[in-house]
Amino acid sequence: MTHQMGVTGSYPLILAIWLLPLAGAVIAWAFGPQLKRQAGMVGSAAIGLAFLATLASWGAAMQNAGGHLGAQQPLGSWLPGFDFGLLLDPLSLIWALIITGVGFLIHVYSIGYMWTDKAIARFFAYLNFFVFAMLTLVLSDNFAGLLVGWGLVGLASYFLIGFWFFKPTAVAAARKAFVINVVGDVGIMFGIFLIFWKIGSLSFGDVFANVHALDPWLFWTCLFLFIGAAAKSAQLPLHTWLADAMEGPTPVSALIHAATMVTAGVYLVARCAPLWSASHDAQTLVGTVGCLTALAGAILGVAQWDIKRILAYSTMSQIGYMIMGVGVTAYSAGVAHFFTHAFFKACLFLGSGIIIHELHDEQDIRLMGGMQKRTPVAFYAMGASVLAISGFPFFSGFFSKDQVIYGALEHGYTWMWAVGLLTAGITAYYMFRLFFVTFFGTYRGELPPESVGVPRQLHDTQQEPHGSNEHAPSWLMAAPVAILGVFAVGAGWIMMGTGSPWARFFANSFPHETLPAPSVSELVTSIIAVAMFLIGALIAYTRYGSSTALANAPARLKSETEKLPAILVNLYYFNELIGLLFVKPAIAIGQFFSRTIDPHLIDGAVRELVIASRAVGTFGRSLQTGLLRGYALIVVFGAAAFAVYYALEGAAR
Amino acid sequence: MPHADLLPVAIGNYIGLSLVIFCIGIAGVLLRRNPLIMLMSIELMWNAANLLFLAFSRAWLNNAGHIFAFLVITVAAAEAAIGLAIVVIVFRNAQNVDVDEVALLKG
Amino acid sequence: MVLTLILLPIIAGGLLFLLPASDRKFSRTVGCIVAAITFLLPAFAPAGGAFTARWLSRPFTAAFHFDWSGISLWLVLLLALCTFCAILATNSRESRTMIALLLLLEGTMMGVFCARDLLAFALFWDLMLIPPFFALVGWGGHRETAWRYLIYNFSGGLTLLLATAAFGIIFGSTDVIGGPAHSLIGGWAGWIFAGFAFAFAVKTPLFPLHTWMPATYADTPPAMVSVVSAVQSKAGLYGFLVIGLPFLNASMMEYKWVFIALSLASLLYGAFAALTQPDAKRVVAYSSLSHLGLIVLALFSGSHVAYEGALIYIVAHGLFSAALFLILGYIEEREGTRSLKRLGGLGAWNPKLAGAFTIAALAALGLPGLAGFAGELVILAGVLRNGLFWPAMIALVPIVLASAYMLRLLQDIINGPPAQDLPERRDLTLVEGLAVAPLLLALVLLGIDPHSLTASIATFIGGLR
Repeated sequence: MTHQMGVTGSYPLILAIWLLPLAGAVIAWAFGPQLKRQAGMVGSAAIGLAFLATLASWGAAMQNAGGHLGAQQPLGSWLPGFDFGLLLDPLSLIWALIITGVGFLIHVYSIGYMWTDKAIARFFAYLNFFVFAMLTLVLSDNFAGLLVGWGLVGLASYFLIGFWFFKPTAVAAARKAFVINVVGDVGIMFGIFLIFWKIGSLSFGDVFANVHALDPWLFWTCLFLFIGAAAKSAQLPLHTWLADAMEGPTPVSALIHAATMVTAGVYLVARCAPLWSASHDAQTLVGTVGCLTALAGAILGVAQWDIKRILAYSTMSQIGYMIMGVGVTAYSAGVAHFFTHAFFKACLFLGSGIIIHELHDEQDIRLMGGMQKRTPVAFYAMGASVLAISGFPFFSGFFSKDQVIYGALEHGYTWMWAVGLLTAGITAYYMFRLFFVTFFGTYRGELPPESVGVPRQLHDTQQEPHGSNEHAPSWLMAAPVAILGVFAVGAGWIMMGTGSPWARFFANSFPHETLPAPSVSELVTSIIAVAMFLIGALIAYTRYGSSTALANAPARLKSETEKLPAILVNLYYFNELIGLLFVKPAIAIGQFFSRTIDPHLIDGAVRELVIASRAVGTFGRSLQTGLLRGYALIVVFGAAAFAVYYALEGAAR
Repeated sequence: MPHADLLPVAIGNYIGLSLVIFCIGIAGVLLRRNPLIMLMSIELMWNAANLLFLAFSRAWLNNAGHIFAFLVITVAAAEAAIGLAIVVIVFRNAQNVDVDEVALLKG
Repeated sequence: MVLTLILLPIIAGGLLFLLPASDRKFSRTVGCIVAAITFLLPAFAPAGGAFTARWLSRPFTAAFHFDWSGISLWLVLLLALCTFCAILATNSRESRTMIALLLLLEGTMMGVFCARDLLAFALFWDLMLIPPFFALVGWGGHRETAWRYLIYNFSGGLTLLLATAAFGIIFGSTDVIGGPAHSLIGGWAGWIFAGFAFAFAVKTPLFPLHTWMPATYADTPPAMVSVVSAVQSKAGLYGFLVIGLPFLNASMMEYKWVFIALSLASLLYGAFAALTQPDAKRVVAYSSLSHLGLIVLALFSGSHVAYEGALIYIVAHGLFSAALFLILGYIEEREGTRSLKRLGGLGAWNPKLAGAFTIAALAALGLPGLAGFAGELVILAGVLRNGLFWPAMIALVPIVLASAYMLRLLQDIINGPPAQDLPERRDLTLVEGLAVAPLLLALVLLGIDPHSLTASIATFIGGLR
């Protein structure tokens, strides 16, 4: 019963989309020493071509024949029961467009960013490999292929976080990210097992046609799948790796840890919409986790000073919104937020990359200030993105975030609606805080770090290592940021109003979804959201942006650093908790096994056997006196015993 | 049935004599410490057995006893030869033929 | 034909001892050619060429019956490939002796995997224990480890022989492997199963009979241990597969919970212990305990899907553990230490070594797309499909732990700041690279297309019922 989701049996252009990045990776890897910087061109070209191929496939992805959406390309059977294939439908089209489109811009930017790095070819090999893996994830037409992609993006992320493998912090961050993601992989794996057990097939078509065969395991299936989604998308309580992942080069943070890979969880839930629509418990679970993550991430964003870490927690928070959206079955709203977020967050990361480059690898915003003049492109692009992420009316984030928050209300989760609105205010606060502290006032980098509250040893480990000060043509980095900035402003317009292009695009993808109808409450939601934005932005302005605040900025920042609550500085003690609950016990158990049980218990038992056989031997030895007459006596007694025995036996007869 | 009339002396006497010789042999092996004497005592035991073989062979009119007696004589000769060789070697090495002093096989 | 596989390596190995002990090049050439022949023969004639000669007719019939078709083919190919790579990687003052021992090991293990007669199986089982013993004694003089290895495994060989004899007397013939399935039942079946199972469990090893293994794997020279851990440890699993499942199925199912419990214990025990080992080879050794526990779980799950996964994983584990041990051998040869605390930052000047090591370690931690993942996925899917919910759940924990200890192994050696006191900085030579490349290539190919493997086991499974 192979039930396909796409209409056509074959659409080879998907193969081109899928394999071009792999080809780029192989070329960059195999000819890296010869290509050097040209590897960047090759890699960017591969992704650019894949983007064009994706655009060319638009029509095929949108075709609809009796509920069978999109184009399908079989890849052959991997194992009996595991048939692989590629599927391009509206959902995967959106992801593929972002992966290749934003990916292309980030590739171009990376040529400039990594210009002086000796391992630039290796960098592009990894980056192209990541795009290939991510496309595997979103283009697969079955759960097994999705899991393969899921694992491979984790690997690419591992390589890229640990790209500067001589930095111990980067190595540790890479390992942490990989292990936590394996927890997620295992969750998905188990979800897949449940599906395979109950349905006997892993293709999306078969599974979604037989959702009720999963009863009573439906909730458990969703739960296990969501463990994977939570690990990959940095949801509570598996979020701790994301901030550490900022050890990777900034373009990596933009592409993998903001725009694409971390949204894989959103993709998974949206893809499995038929499962979630059938299980109310799963909706509540995922909505709750997403909502709490949005809030928790935003609060942590308030207490960070490292520009990339602020953005990392912001990413965590925004993905929380997306997860909340798809969790409460407002699928197209969650996906919409993914779409706009990819632009403004990539823009923010790349803009901060420009600043980091300009300041020779300084990442602490307390040591920035006044960047408005030194990096104007970053100032304008990031300004637009800050407005977008904070929900300034008619910027892209405004539309998608409203959709998510209103979606929660519409599906009956009032408290999520309230928390979502509160989080929107906090978002505006911490984003404007970042903006004002970085761009306004005067440059503080020449001050001694202690005077703005930066501990010395922390400061030294946070820098990205670059080679010489030789710089690439500045447009290589400026142009992608500018383009992303434009999209950060305008990408939301396609979501405006009823019957918007966005709504029509997804009209057939999520048949279980009831689309929000315009009503007073939606208008009210928007008004409250804008009010929250204003409040947050105003607080940030008075604290960091106003002329009085800017006048004594260093002292202010120092005192504020000292006043931050310990629970926020220590990230709610999550790392310590995980260490206490999992890492330390595992190591203790391992040491107990190899130092106590192996040598003492098991080998001890074996040794008892040895001792016992030795005792028997010692007893036997003691009989061997070597005295001839003693032996003779024993022989005589033995013979006598025989004689007596037979004599008695004869007498008894 | 034993052919009692073929034996000029009653069979019980042969058994008694054999028993006496055998016990003398045992006593010799157990009590004496000179290996030559012990070998001779073993010869006594062999011959006690031979005596019985022949007596019963005669009584049952069965030649198997004779054959066994020959076998025993042959084996006894071989055993004496080996035994004497061992005694000679031990004597050469230890300058002493007291069996209680020689305990090379002590475990 | 099949006798070539067994006798050619043994004769060649024996003849190598006639060469001067200092010889390097010639013995390596001979060894590689012999190993290549033993690989190419079955690869190009997978149908095999059976050989039969009468051995015993009383008290039961036994024959020198050998063949390489069916499941044996994959183990034969794995063995020949691993031996080839190990010989190619051998380059030291004692090359000649090591290569000779490797060839002897290959020949005797070919006997195990090709035997169609239980008595011949038991004979070669004991013979295959001898070359590693001499390797342990001869290199560094690890006498205690050597004796421990030998006594543990020979006691298994003893119960194997007793069980074989009992099987022959009850069944009338020991010429049964690969023949029609026939499950023994009755009072003796349990004892016969116990005899076989003890031997197989020691060899695999299965908790709690594993304590010979970490020391053996750590002390045996790398070329030898790569074959021992990759292929010799599979002899027990192969035994469960071709002797246990067809002929002692009733007993296997009767005691399945005992073995499922032990396999889960192995899985967890090995994974936890591997987390903390300071010695790189011991990390891999304990990881083997964990990985092979998964295969035992599959074989006792009663699920045909899991049997398929077991075969995939047997081959996959052979490939990656051989590669890992060879690479650790290179590292030890260069730096003179295996301590994870002392090593570090090798990736900076050894990019090829780092690349090969990364692929092998990723395969070992079950990265999707490589062969290890295919095995894990299919095994666990099969186990769960047979209703063993909790065993499947527990078996997921070691997957997370595997990523932790494998990354620890990988990163502590190749990442981080370069350790300055390490003596050598040369990257892999061409020959050293060629010695691990086939293993890594096979891991990738089997990960993408494990289909060819499962096709052969499908026939076998069809014969079970």
